[in-house]
Amino acid sequence: MKFGLFYELQLPKPYDRDTWDPDAERRIYHEMLEQVELADRVGFDYVFEVEHHFLEEYSHSSAPEMMLAALSQRTQNIRLGHGIVLTPPAYNPPARVAERIAALDLLSNGRVEFGTGESASHMEMAGFGVDRGSKKAMWEECTREITHMMVQTPYPGFKGEFFSMPARNVIPKPVQKPHPPIWVAASRRETTMVAARLGIGSLGFGFETPEELGERALEYYRLIREECMPLGHAINPALAVLNSLMIAESEEEALRRSASGPGFFSYSLGYYYNPMTGTRHRPGEDNLYRRYVDSSPEARSLFEARTESEIARSEPSEEVQRALYRAARNRGSIGTVESVRANLLRYEQQHLDTLIFVAQAGDRKHEHIMESIERFGKQVLPEFKERHETVHRKWRNEQLAGVDFAINSSI
Amino acid sequence: MGRREQVQNEELRGLIDESYAQMRQGQASDAVRTLVRCFLRLIELRPDLISRTIETAGGQRYPFLMSWPALGADLSFESLRKGKPEIELKRERFAISEAMTYYEFVLDTLLSSKM
Repeated sequence: MKFGLFYELQLPKPYDRDTWDPDAERRIYHEMLEQVELADRVGFDYVFEVEHHFLEEYSHSSAPEMMLAALSQRTQNIRLGHGIVLTPPAYNPPARVAERIAALDLLSNGRVEFGTGESASHMEMAGFGVDRGSKKAMWEECTREITHMMVQTPYPGFKGEFFSMPARNVIPKPVQKPHPPIWVAASRRETTMVAARLGIGSLGFGFETPEELGERALEYYRLIREECMPLGHAINPALAVLNSLMIAESEEEALRRSASGPGFFSYSLGYYYNPMTGTRHRPGEDNLYRRYVDSSPEARSLFEARTESEIARSEPSEEVQRALYRAARNRGSIGTVESVRANLLRYEQQHLDTLIFVAQAGDRKHEHIMESIERFGKQVLPEFKERHETVHRKWRNEQLAGVDFAINSSI
Repeated sequence: MGRREQVQNEELRGLIDESYAQMRQGQASDAVRTLVRCFLRLIELRPDLISRTIETAGGQRYPFLMSWPALGADLSFESLRKGKPEIELKRERFAISEAMTYYEFVLDTLLSSKM
């Protein structure tokens, strides 16, 4: 199993004010640079950064290509992932995406992971005029054409339903051939299976249990073998999911340092993606953090960490709601080195390719995140890395036996 | 999770097989129409699906059928309220990823309904 870090660049407002500290955004951007530099030094495999627009407090990461470009000059080995680029053309014209991905691949000497997606929040879709009912079709049409632009000389042009352009040679071309590994954001099981059918990596947002993931991994690789119709010029068989990270000397201290990270992460995600609340957000006025802290004890209890058995007894049946519920409550990788190792072994046994940690979330402190990255990299990661190269690689090669599509994957 | 071969009802298996063949031939729009037929027929055979509910993180419940993907072949809430679900095709053309999404949803529902 490989490991990465995942960044929304969360920035809760102060409880007692409706504006941020003037230096707050600059601070979290520079803290992320430091955290990823450290992650690179201690052996993390990936960093993935989101693209979100207008989702105040939940995500201040609207231009991830800038951050990833900066990281390309400060790191040596860590792979630089878009988690994800919004490919409906109103967000990013396809030729501009192809140009940016290729330029980043050149700057980083071939370390780009090309995550793609379509967005789902009212704030973003209405802000850019993206039709909810057509966004998946837009994603597919534009992502497919972007891969052609990175490969074809010249790109012959295209007249599509959502985007058209004349023949041009889209330059530069990426270092990785035929193009960097492609992923799609997958918050539902269906999307993970669509990813398999299209031969792309699934960047899961589901906070599945290890047992659920085991079944999903087998089905994902079966579809790659038997029913794949590749979207790109090379397939990227890869299954990744998120998990929360905070490591300290004791369980109690890790929970204390984890603070409202997972709770606020889930609360603000639910707020923007719920049509009842996400459509009523007052830009520049609402204070989500205060709303979270002041919510009723019953509501707050929905976002407090519980044991796994307590979670299983009370969690919702609907998949996306269950993911939110688990994201808030599941201890994930919050604990001591020993308990985190034990948790991760369960994922490893289920053949997960990559686990991506949410460390920067809510009001967690930079120094605690740095300490967690260092402890994980030095005390947990090496043994998993070794088994990845032996045990997992052998299992994955067996799963991919007989697949005759070109493969470009960093797993 | 499962395969379309596991669908026991012959009529429904015929429809899911037909949609799969259409997807493989790149006929995404035809596949979506076939999957809509398959899903509506499933509801005719299993009207208990209309009253099945699922729970949100906030403890509210809503109809399971409202989780049908809204990707241009949309289930009308009004028709569901009347107890006779209808799916309206908002577009003529569908993408292959949309057909795949509907396929996964329909196959999952068929198998979880033990059809």
